Amino acid sequence: MVSLLSILSTSASALRAYEQVLNVTQNNVANASTPGYAKQSQQLCALPGDPEMGATGGVKAGVIQSARDQYAEQNVWRQTVLLGQAGQNVNSFTALESLFDISGASGIPNTLNSLLASFSAWGQSPNDTAARQTVIDRATDLATSFRQAASGLEGVVKDTNQQLQQTVDQVNNLVGQLQGYNAQILRGDRNDAGLEAQVYSTLEQLSQYVDITARQQDDGSTTVLLGGQTALLVGAQQYSISSTFQQPDNPVYPDGLPEAQILGADGSDITASVTTGQLGALLNIRNQVLPSYLGDANQPGDLNTMAKQFADRVNQLLTSGNVDNGDPPLAGVPLFTYDTTDDTNVANTLSVDPTVTPDQLAAIDPGPPEVANGIPLALSQLSNPQNTADEINGASFTEFYGNMASRIGTALTNATSQQTVQQSAVAQAQNLRKQSSGVDLDAEAMVVVEFERAYQANSRLISVLDQLTQDTINILSTA
Amino acid sequence: MAAADVVQRLVAVRSEVDQACELLISASPKALDSCTHILETAGSRLAELQPQLPEGAGNSTAQQEARRLRGAVARANSLLENAFSFYVNWRRLLGSLSAGYTERGDPAPAPCQGRICLEG
Repeated sequence: MVSLLSILSTSASALRAYEQVLNVTQNNVANASTPGYAKQSQQLCALPGDPEMGATGGVKAGVIQSARDQYAEQNVWRQTVLLGQAGQNVNSFTALESLFDISGASGIPNTLNSLLASFSAWGQSPNDTAARQTVIDRATDLATSFRQAASGLEGVVKDTNQQLQQTVDQVNNLVGQLQGYNAQILRGDRNDAGLEAQVYSTLEQLSQYVDITARQQDDGSTTVLLGGQTALLVGAQQYSISSTFQQPDNPVYPDGLPEAQILGADGSDITASVTTGQLGALLNIRNQVLPSYLGDANQPGDLNTMAKQFADRVNQLLTSGNVDNGDPPLAGVPLFTYDTTDDTNVANTLSVDPTVTPDQLAAIDPGPPEVANGIPLALSQLSNPQNTADEINGASFTEFYGNMASRIGTALTNATSQQTVQQSAVAQAQNLRKQSSGVDLDAEAMVVVEFERAYQANSRLISVLDQLTQDTINILSTA
Repeated sequence: MAAADVVQRLVAVRSEVDQACELLISASPKALDSCTHILETAGSRLAELQPQLPEGAGNSTAQQEARRLRGAVARANSLLENAFSFYVNWRRLLGSLSAGYTERGDPAPAPCQGRICLEG
């Protein structure tokens, strides 16, 4: 028999359950405009109703479940981390692009062209002191351009190092905030909707810097992992990351740029797991892009390679010639000097030997046959190489420089396009998050089926448009 | 057709693709249905333009606009694929949450009772 006491107990349980529903609704209204807040819903669980067995039925409140879907949230972070990466790439490549002028109006291309022109003018008047002095002056200008380019790149290295440190600090600060929220939750505030909103808002900020995975634990605290494997936060314990700069073992160029590394709280190198987000972009710029120009432990860098090969070739031609054909003949002297002990420091130290005077520049190619202006003619051929000694990797010096500059230009164009796409992708992910909150399972399954049908049609159309656009570009590109 | 006309028509097509992108940002099945019509129109206009394109050949403004259009198409493609991947993975998750796993260890299909689906 169902006793009066059990009926009263059922009523009390139902009243408590509905009171919690009201609390949840009140929370939803109060936090409607709180950043990061997702509508919560109260699950009501049916109690077994079997009067014979004394089970009175009714309802009770289940654990409050946030309608925020972890899956949709992770999707927002996944897109945000790519936006952070694209944004950082745009900033860094914009800074780099300003150092590489390909218009020929300034910098290395301008001074290189001027020097090559001065070789040509000297070839026409091999004994003209003014023409020789012009060669020395233009060579000095070119050396200055190389040093300025190297110095500019070193400035970008310095800025990037600072940004790396600031980004690491920012990650640690945000994880520190999350640690504080976890501590509050573990003290008993786990059903505070405002607190949950702050947690999600902070996670979203964090996701622009690094690729994060966050899981809500049974105790209500949030566990945060970096790159899916390195713990940043577990319960009330924060694991701070740090940055450092270190040469690898057995470097080929011991004085080259040391590599930037990210270390976990235990001191282990976790650089390889930081590939996306602002921090991933900064690491790529610092460890891949900048060394490709300035060198590191394993490579001299293209700027140094170009400076060294150009200086060596000019010096080799000048010293192979004669200033006059007396007995014995007087050989020419080298024009350029640089730090020969460190191949990663050539561009930075390239200069014209201040002791060289115009009359020491050799014009005579001893042959046979002897050619009075053979050396300036050979030097002027550097603009239009006829043999491999005048080239770097099959390209003329001007082309090699153009390739260096175009790598930056292409990377900047790609980053800018990626940034535009990701801005839309983040907005889309935020919309998808809204859509997937609080929808029942059956309706959600139908949305997926309908979406797949619509997807097929749109996918075919985009494929056709893509082909048509490519054809359009091809037709318009034919002069 | 003058190069300026080619540019103008490419701008019009891009504007439609941009409009489709805006719809894809709110990637619901209903938004995708509207998107289909817009992309169809954009495709038709671009196909109609093809025979006149040689008249704009070599024009740098037209080339630039064509590259912008390609960027817009790439953005639309990326948004569509992102949304598709979101829904497909979500369905797998729903399946594993609601119906467990198949014998092969894949998420079981999410139960969807009392509905029929007609294709034709």
